[in-house]
Amino acid sequence: MQIWISSEELESVKNQFEGINVEEGENFTSLTVDKNSLLNLLVYLKNSLGYKHFIDLFCIDYPLHKPRFQGIYILFNPEKNRRVAVKCWAEEDSLPSVVHIWKGAKWAEREAWDMFGVSFDGHENLVRMFLWEGYKYHPLRKDFPLKGIEDTYLPSLNLRPDEIPAHNYNPYHTKVPTLEDIERTQKSRMEKKNQIVLNWGPLHPGTHGTIWFLFDMEGEYVKNCDIILGQLHRGVEKIAENLTYTQFIPYTDRMDYISALCSQVAYVNAVEKLLGIDPPEKAKYIRTMMCELQRINSHLLWLGTFALDLGALTIFLYAFREREKIMDIIEGIAGIRLNSSYIRIGGVAKDLPDGALDVISHFIKDFPEKLEEYETILTKNRVWLKRNVDVGIIKKDDVYSYGLTGVVARSAGIPYDIRMVQPTDAYDKVDFEIPLGKVGDCYDRYLLRMEEMRQSLSIIAQCVEKLKNMEGKEYIATDYSNVLPTLEEVFNSIESMVKDFTLRVYGEKTTDGEVYLSGENPRGELGFYINSKGEGRPYRMRIRSGAFYNLQIFPELIKGRTIADAVAILGSLDPVVGETDR
Amino acid sequence: MELLGTVVVLTIKSLIFILVMFLGAAYLTLLERKFAGHVQQRPGPLHVGPHGLLQPIADALKVLTKEDLVPDSVDKFLFYLASLMAFVPAIMILAVVPFGDPFTVFGVEIKPYITDLNIGVLLALAFGSISLYGVIFAGWASNSKYPMIGSLRKAAVLIGYEVALGFAMVGPIMMAGSFSLREIVEAQQNIWFIIPNILAFVVIIFCILAETGRTPFDVQEAEAELVGGYITEYTGMKFGLFPLAEWYIATFVLSAITVILFFGGWNPLPLMGWLPIPAIVWFFVKVFLLFMFFLWVHWTLPRYRVDQITELAWKVMLPLALANILVVAIWIMIFG
Repeated sequence: MQIWISSEELESVKNQFEGINVEEGENFTSLTVDKNSLLNLLVYLKNSLGYKHFIDLFCIDYPLHKPRFQGIYILFNPEKNRRVAVKCWAEEDSLPSVVHIWKGAKWAEREAWDMFGVSFDGHENLVRMFLWEGYKYHPLRKDFPLKGIEDTYLPSLNLRPDEIPAHNYNPYHTKVPTLEDIERTQKSRMEKKNQIVLNWGPLHPGTHGTIWFLFDMEGEYVKNCDIILGQLHRGVEKIAENLTYTQFIPYTDRMDYISALCSQVAYVNAVEKLLGIDPPEKAKYIRTMMCELQRINSHLLWLGTFALDLGALTIFLYAFREREKIMDIIEGIAGIRLNSSYIRIGGVAKDLPDGALDVISHFIKDFPEKLEEYETILTKNRVWLKRNVDVGIIKKDDVYSYGLTGVVARSAGIPYDIRMVQPTDAYDKVDFEIPLGKVGDCYDRYLLRMEEMRQSLSIIAQCVEKLKNMEGKEYIATDYSNVLPTLEEVFNSIESMVKDFTLRVYGEKTTDGEVYLSGENPRGELGFYINSKGEGRPYRMRIRSGAFYNLQIFPELIKGRTIADAVAILGSLDPVVGETDR
Repeated sequence: MELLGTVVVLTIKSLIFILVMFLGAAYLTLLERKFAGHVQQRPGPLHVGPHGLLQPIADALKVLTKEDLVPDSVDKFLFYLASLMAFVPAIMILAVVPFGDPFTVFGVEIKPYITDLNIGVLLALAFGSISLYGVIFAGWASNSKYPMIGSLRKAAVLIGYEVALGFAMVGPIMMAGSFSLREIVEAQQNIWFIIPNILAFVVIIFCILAETGRTPFDVQEAEAELVGGYITEYTGMKFGLFPLAEWYIATFVLSAITVILFFGGWNPLPLMGWLPIPAIVWFFVKVFLLFMFFLWVHWTLPRYRVDQITELAWKVMLPLALANILVVAIWIMIFG
């Protein structure tokens, strides 16, 4: 299925602009343009060709190339279901800002500045995204060591007074932010007036993780809001550059820890596209089934915490009661409850255990009744309506401009669902519907998630039907040279053992190539851009996080509303900080 | 000599009331936790004592032995005063609440109330209002943003519902022709005041939920937004007094007043007067049912926003309370 820009459109771009270099491919099609005509090209793509949905913006570092950094913009055409990537070399380490074209680029540009030191001309507030003000380095540059730069004298981290220092004792460490640094970070983003500035977070029960909100309040009303991210930043993209493709799978779990399986599937699909692997039929159905189980799991957690935020204490335990059952099912299949690391390149880690399908069938039978129960308590509840209806309305233009995806985009009536746009696994073989919202308020997002659970349930039922006839079939395509053999094969044949050894040590060798593939996470589009130089590990991995872009609209939505709406809006956007911060 | 006797009797009676109320409130916490547990499909406290029966004692011991932290920047006097201001008036309402008719045991007449003032209702209202100063002091004295927002919210809500609460109580008073709670009960021997006063009853339910800070009106301590609201900076027993006063004693006492005003106090249920059940049992059964109703609401509903509560208070509850006065006036004109 063709997802990238068509050749006619490429022709029209080539006629319109001179000196455009086109790289066409099945997995990635990009136009390389020089810095001067970048803005014109982007505006042309947006207005004339309809590529108006902003997906992602990031940089790549090529230390030996001059200019050193390359910016990549990924755009989407909602009418034709086409993507395009635009590349541009950052001459003099700077690029023109595209915030006036797509508001969603605001944070992406800040992130690129934070991680690479590429400045964006015309950006109104180009400050650090994840790291603190005053940090001198840009960690995603290739010359930045993985362990960090040990330039700060911090003996206290190693030395305990009554102990002899260990043999690897080093009093120099990577700089850690001090209170002054944090204060500077805070102040650089704050417009202090005669208002209360309420620090909402980093550790606050309403923020669902370690996000730091600054609310300029006038009475109960929020006049301005700023978000400080980065408390959970672990440099996942940097780590990925130093691991083989298989080794990175557990890290995807730990990004969006609530929907680990969906992240794994999105990542593994991207890698499989890159390596040219086609997993067996059974693995595809298992993946789809597990993804949808995880989606219900994630939506249940969302329902519980969202209702808890709005004061409905009991729903929380009701939702967790069902979530616990899904957790048990996932534990039974994958062996781990939360960060399951179940998906492998080329298939899945283990075959389904005996009886797994029976348990899931029982769950499918029981669950609709429980959904009814939640809806009875909430859907028509006057208080619930009062708190949710017409709160945090997202318009269609905002969706394109901010690069919103997932339920947040669909609540505004945009049928953007990766499962339909670019079906991976068995999504093109199952039948399901995408519920759409009308208004785009918190209530719509609530209704959509409830309906999505029903749809997921029907997908699971279809997968279970298929899987019942597939007992004993192959679940991982170990014939491919880049797929790790199963444990049984390793123990029984010397070739497999050698293959296992080489793959684990040297990684999955492949040719040069680029791939951008995304998966429909419960929190939006989770995209993986992988740039491979054939080293057995990615040269650059960019993770396009749905929650990161969805959260960006929060300051817009909360302006002029009360602090009580902040929990409703934030809850309905449903960010997970592990994914926003990566 | 007679005066001395009265003083001694009153002192003993007050002590008994306070002690029983303390113990009762402690066990009301257990009741609430058990109830919440079963609502949420979990067993609730289970491990201290048989079936968790000693849990309140353990809780009390824990709260009493916790370190009592007082932040440096607080206004110390108001900070200490606030927890007392919340607690003492709530328990003082008990002084005017009668629990039954005087009865005789071994030839001694026992009055199950401390005083029978002819302005009982007004005094109860006044004490209820004073206890709210505790909340406002707590927010202000803490010198911190979350408590301040919490207590400002409470103040905003308070203005709305106190007016409606006052007007809602007018109906039963008109029908009984007295402010004395005991006389109000006696006036209900034939028909309970709920009959013409149904509107006032709705208003009173709203006001009690708002006054005791239970969902859907628990904006002042909305933990998802304001951490703990006005009790954020409190620890130890000072912290413990707030929920004890608001959630248990105030809810219980206000339930009792509602039963007196609308459900005939200790009068037996209609057509069941022949049953050999003492008046005081009738009374507590009714109070208990009303208390459970509040728990039920608390553990089911989400919470309103503060501006929606004030809107509800001014635009719906106040007109309802006024309309009720009209209804009662017409009722009195027709039936005498």
